[in-house]
Amino acid sequence: MEIFIQQLVNSLSVASVTILIGIGITLIFGLAGIVNFAHGEFLMVGGMITWFLVTSGLNFFAALLGAMILVGALGFIAERGLFRFTLERPMNGFIMSIGMSVILQHVVIRIFNEVQKTIPDPIGKVWVIGGVDIIAMRGVVVALTAVVVAITYFGISRSRYGMALRASIADQDTAALMGIPVRRYVTGVFVYGSVLAGLGGALMIALFPITPFTGSVVIIRGFAVSLIGGLGNVGGAVGGGLLLGLVDGLSAGYGFPEWTDAYSLVVMIAILIVRPQGLFGGTLGPRST
Amino acid sequence: MMPLEVEHLRTAYGPVVVNRDVSLTVHQHEIVTILGPNGAGKSTLLRAISGLLRPRNGVIRFDGKKVTGRPAAQMAALGVVMVPEGRHIFPDLTVQENLRLGAYCRKDRDAVEEDIRLMESYFHVLATKRGAKGSNLSGGQQQMLAIARGLMARPRILLLDEPSLGLSPLLIKDVRAVIMDVRAKFSAAVLLVEQNAGLALAVADRGYLLQHGDIVASGVIAELRDNRLMHELYLGHGRSGKASIRGNQ
Repeated sequence: MEIFIQQLVNSLSVASVTILIGIGITLIFGLAGIVNFAHGEFLMVGGMITWFLVTSGLNFFAALLGAMILVGALGFIAERGLFRFTLERPMNGFIMSIGMSVILQHVVIRIFNEVQKTIPDPIGKVWVIGGVDIIAMRGVVVALTAVVVAITYFGISRSRYGMALRASIADQDTAALMGIPVRRYVTGVFVYGSVLAGLGGALMIALFPITPFTGSVVIIRGFAVSLIGGLGNVGGAVGGGLLLGLVDGLSAGYGFPEWTDAYSLVVMIAILIVRPQGLFGGTLGPRST
Repeated sequence: MMPLEVEHLRTAYGPVVVNRDVSLTVHQHEIVTILGPNGAGKSTLLRAISGLLRPRNGVIRFDGKKVTGRPAAQMAALGVVMVPEGRHIFPDLTVQENLRLGAYCRKDRDAVEEDIRLMESYFHVLATKRGAKGSNLSGGQQQMLAIARGLMARPRILLLDEPSLGLSPLLIKDVRAVIMDVRAKFSAAVLLVEQNAGLALAVADRGYLLQHGDIVASGVIAELRDNRLMHELYLGHGRSGKASIRGNQ
């Protein structure tokens, strides 16, 4: 039982990182139809920035904020400078994002190197809850993600901006007729997704070592999560992330660690064939008349 | 003062030219209709005016100011608001959310809440269906919601694209009354695109007849009704033919 609970917390902390990246992917695709394969590299860059700042002597949580801001800025530049021009041709944007992901990997290798990076556990404590040892940082990762998920969810379902965002995802042209500046929402969502990727990278390096190639693994899982949940559906991404995280974590914990990635991708493929719109219902991309 | 002036407008989708050279005006408090058979380029013209489609050439003025090529969101903020063909109610949003979104570009939040009450008292069905999702409304109810949502922006001119499409004759009568009230109660001008000539001729002050993308006749409704081209075009198109012109006189 103790091992089960530890595995559960471990799974949840891994799921957290996947959920953070999945929310960005699902919103960006749902609203703009952009399949951004470089989103995983955004996370990797966030981890690298965190590593750099922490090894330069900064407090981890300050470094985390720095990573969120800088990756957010990277997202802003990518959207305004690149993806804006391929909105009409999503396939071109997709190919471009693959190119961008390779370029970002090499830029990071050029600036630092290709060796994996780690930081010391930022909290370095173990909580004993009901007789079970839990690494405190993992609990913090889960808690921070829960807060972000709650803010995102209520922002989208309750606020005026969230309502306009849902309308834009459903029907861009009609949203524009209401006076909603859809293009600005595209930028906003892209930057928000990038900020979450930066956060995900910072949290990830607090748990595991990362390399310049971490992004390409993470992105597949991020897409799996958003596809399982239904593209454009934030709640779906969270559900999908939890599902994958638990499948992963528990399979790793119970003797089949080498199969971990395969399980989640088998789940994704099966769901895409049986329910193309995802488990919880999503969009098939932006619609316009 | 002329709220809306369109001069020598040219529109196209890629290489396909739809409107070659269209000029029209809508004065304050006027109800103007654009008539024409299916595929005449009416909706494209309206999309260009609303800002959804960037015109290739020509000038659009609103209140004397050049607004050609402005995106739809800006046009809505200026007071040029389109109710699109096929209603386009946001299916997953409630009736009230749909209404509130209609006022997205307004800053006067308190007045918006008042206007929601006003719409609910004018369109009773919107009050009874307040919390229902847009997708749960019937076609006629969706059309009323679409017009109410357009009015929520407090437009100076409302562009209506085929509001009678797919509605029963009884509901079309309701739409007719509502269009008259858009001017009377909500003091907005109306530019109405219709295939249903009967409805259009019954409510409009003036009209333009569009064929193959260009205006082939125009004038006050009494003139237009007796226009030879008008009869040819509508006689040549069976279902919406002469009967519907006469039927609603």
